[in-house]
Amino acid sequence: MRRVFRIPFARGHIAREVDDELSFHLEMRAQRLIAAGWTPDAARREALRQFGDVDGVRQDCLVMDEQRERAMHRANVIGELQQDIAYALRTLRRNFGFTAVIVSALALGIGANTAIFSLIDAVLVRSLPVSHPEQLVAIGDPTRVGSMSSGSPRTDLLSYPLFRDLRDQNHVFSGVLASGRTDRLDVRIEGTSGEFEHPRGRFVSGNYFSLLGVPAFAGRTFDASADAVLGASPIATISYGYWTRRFHNDPSAIGRTILVNGTKITIVGVTPPSFSGEIVGSSTDMWLPITMYDVLRPNQKVLDDRLTSWILVLGRLQPGVTLTQAKQRVSELLKRDIVANANPQIAKAFLDRGAKYYVSSGSKGFSRVRNTFQAPLLTLMIGVGLLLCIICANVANLLLARAIARGREMAVRLALGASRSRLVRQLLTESAILALLSAAVGLLVAWWGSRALLALASDGAPMSINLGTDVSVLAFTLGVSVLAVALFGVVPALRASRVDLAAAMRAQSPSVAGSASGMRGERLPLAKLLIAGQVALSVVLLIGAAMLVRSLRNVQAVDVGMDRDHLVLVDLDIGSRGYHGERLANAVHSLRDRVATVPGVSAVTFSENGIFSGTESSTTLEIPGFTARTPDDTTVAYDQVGPDYATAIGAKLIAGRDLRSSDEPMLPRVVLANQSFAKFYFPGQNAVGKYLHFNDSVAVQIVGIVADTRDHDLEGQPARRLYFPYVHADDPKNLGEPGSLRLEVRTVGDPSAVVQRIRRAVVSVDPSLPIDGVDPLPTLMRQSIREERLVARLASAFGAFALLLAAIGLYGVMTYAITRRTGEIGLRVALGAQRGDVVRMVLFDALRLVGFGLVIGLPVALMSTRLLRTQLHGVDSADPVSIVVAVGVLVSSAVVAVLLPALRAARVSPIVALRAE
Amino acid sequence: MLDRDGGLLRGTLDVLILKSLSWGPRHGYAVAEWIKVITDGDVLVEEGPLYTALHRLERNGWLSAEWGYSDNNRRAKYYQLSRTGRTQLRAEVTSWERYARAIGKALAAASPLPA
Repeated sequence: MRRVFRIPFARGHIAREVDDELSFHLEMRAQRLIAAGWTPDAARREALRQFGDVDGVRQDCLVMDEQRERAMHRANVIGELQQDIAYALRTLRRNFGFTAVIVSALALGIGANTAIFSLIDAVLVRSLPVSHPEQLVAIGDPTRVGSMSSGSPRTDLLSYPLFRDLRDQNHVFSGVLASGRTDRLDVRIEGTSGEFEHPRGRFVSGNYFSLLGVPAFAGRTFDASADAVLGASPIATISYGYWTRRFHNDPSAIGRTILVNGTKITIVGVTPPSFSGEIVGSSTDMWLPITMYDVLRPNQKVLDDRLTSWILVLGRLQPGVTLTQAKQRVSELLKRDIVANANPQIAKAFLDRGAKYYVSSGSKGFSRVRNTFQAPLLTLMIGVGLLLCIICANVANLLLARAIARGREMAVRLALGASRSRLVRQLLTESAILALLSAAVGLLVAWWGSRALLALASDGAPMSINLGTDVSVLAFTLGVSVLAVALFGVVPALRASRVDLAAAMRAQSPSVAGSASGMRGERLPLAKLLIAGQVALSVVLLIGAAMLVRSLRNVQAVDVGMDRDHLVLVDLDIGSRGYHGERLANAVHSLRDRVATVPGVSAVTFSENGIFSGTESSTTLEIPGFTARTPDDTTVAYDQVGPDYATAIGAKLIAGRDLRSSDEPMLPRVVLANQSFAKFYFPGQNAVGKYLHFNDSVAVQIVGIVADTRDHDLEGQPARRLYFPYVHADDPKNLGEPGSLRLEVRTVGDPSAVVQRIRRAVVSVDPSLPIDGVDPLPTLMRQSIREERLVARLASAFGAFALLLAAIGLYGVMTYAITRRTGEIGLRVALGAQRGDVVRMVLFDALRLVGFGLVIGLPVALMSTRLLRTQLHGVDSADPVSIVVAVGVLVSSAVVAVLLPALRAARVSPIVALRAE
Repeated sequence: MLDRDGGLLRGTLDVLILKSLSWGPRHGYAVAEWIKVITDGDVLVEEGPLYTALHRLERNGWLSAEWGYSDNNRRAKYYQLSRTGRTQLRAEVTSWERYARAIGKALAAASPLPA
């Protein structure tokens, strides 16, 4: 006879039962003794004696009874849960369409959130896959992974001699490693022919792998002995990815010789699959000993040059040393070392400028994309979060509607004795199963979505991010799902269980009289509240999206100061041909002259860095009479360009003259400055004719001022910029020979029409010269704002989706409301209301809801768009145009959504409606 | 081998309780009386341990219990064999019989070594 009814779990009632049972026994025994002639007192004593240790037995019984109660309780809970799950699965299977709709909407929401989160995790959160990443300290500006800067000592990047001193003289690190850019590598694997390939390389110190704790997957990594003699270690370690891609995991790749920039290099090993370098967002294919730099890039001798900075450093802290201590020691050391090794003039300039010392946690490695993507990713995270809220509101409404349909079922179950809490648990179980199903599908959506996002984001510049689904991503997905259940499941469940028994049992159909469903008074206000909430969230998303789109338009329309629509950039790998001096000058001139004869081309010039190429140079200089206040004050951007550069690209000359062919052999040299430069260093003066000094001795004269152009980005302030002649007399103290060549080709008509002809012209001059790209300027500009375009595009997509969901929700609620009011509408029509009146009435009802949503949403939108401020260009964070557009779109969608139900209401025939009563 | 359940081989009291309930529900006092009568008072020296055993068997799921009224119309806790309890009783009886046979054979042995 199992107990059917649950016993309250309390010590009190157990103790009482045990006491009752034991005293019953003792009394029975005493009675028996009395019947046998004992006195009552003696009988009681004898009963106790025969019983033995009453207290001990009582305790034992209590313990066992409690254990039994607990076990029963557990069994009950598990049993009910099993029932709930089985029942929920049955219900969901029976309503397959309903389940599918909800699961796909939720999966989309959860998937989008997970996708964005996995990108955030990979780019912003995750530590390097090396041993004890928390001990690593980054020295140098971690975003400057591909930079090199010459002319003066720096602290955001280190020179090789400075790195060596840091390595040998610090007392805070157990070791420090150096990592520097390789620029493009021209690689040919021995025994193959054809085009060069350009793996992503990194020059690193010999202790790189041992300090990070990265073992060789195959072969060996190189070690500190690679640093011993400059230029004596022609070896490379390659990544697992490159080994797979290029060598199909062939073990014989180890020991193979490859040609890197014309030098024979032996592959000595492969790193494990999990390791792709210390740079997040750009995985490394090949590591070369840093001491090989001067051999592999003979145009630049940097290993002994204290004025060329290009190295980022990771140090591993000694036990017990804190980051703060390390920062202080490293800053002191760098400052002392720079001053001690510079000539007095440079040392004084360095001290006068004051320097910022970059010492930060190195656990996440270096990254250029971390900076560019931080704000966009967080924006998108908020966007998808809002979207999920809207989806949850929609699903809640669907569940609520179904709860109405199940009102009778609930009532029956309540009548049969189920408790309300049991019903709520039952409904929540259904919601939880829905959420888990959605989370599973959502993970697939996320897997695909994060890769699609990455592909979109790396438009034109491949970005490699390790998107492995790890524990934190799974935990996030699960957390989001639980949150979703809380958002969409709890309220309908609570409402559904609040059934008015009698009313629900009686109810057959909705009616004018209003004694319909047991929840009649409750259903619509809640549903309407959810719709208003959706409207509010949608307007936030829409306004944000509108602002981002408008900002993007502004950026795209910005005046770049040149003939943007008629320029083609030709990127040529002149470095691979080994040209120097006169041969370089001849090659460049004949390329220019040949391309100038192409039909449709009106002008040709050339430069080292080009326009929107992503490659920039900067230098430090001294201007007589100018005192620097910050380190940046003496830093200017520069390019080395061909004759008639300003005229050819369509830039406006403000004063003086353009560069000429006759400037090319000149020494001292002449230079063109842009307007920002002239205003900054020579305010209120005529800058033409003034002299500048750089590399501590060379003087150059400004011959012309050109209006500011946007050479490399569409946002922010234009840089102070100088244009030196590309071809110039050789002078060791000069800027050095340009390492690359870009032709700027001005066209008469559509630039894309002449791209092929330009390509053929280049080939006709030198068939073996690698062409890295022939692109119209607008294409390159688009690539330079890919983050902005991505964010604007995604935000618009989220906004559109939110709008659609809100419209569907509105349609559903209004349709339902009209069905319920059929009788009332019929009555109105019978009493003389016109069709138009009915339509107006329904529309007014819906718009009141939308208005309510807007009243909530607009202030929230205005507050949240303030977070976008840093990403908006030329758009105020309370931009009235965006607000009007968003509200307009929302209201008109709402009208469209309710027009159908409104027209249906207008067709209600009074006779049919009243007969239904 | 001796424990608080009354100075018996573990299991002896259990099997007696199960047996006493094999004819139908009884309260604890009735079980105690039955055991006393049937064993001439040799097994149950003190009555307390009987209750510890009853509660343990109930926890194990071999007994179920409900409150009812005794012959003299007093509230008493009645125990009853559950299905598992009945199975348990059968198993215990078999093992006791085998045990008793073995011990009996041993004690009746006539020679020091088996032939």
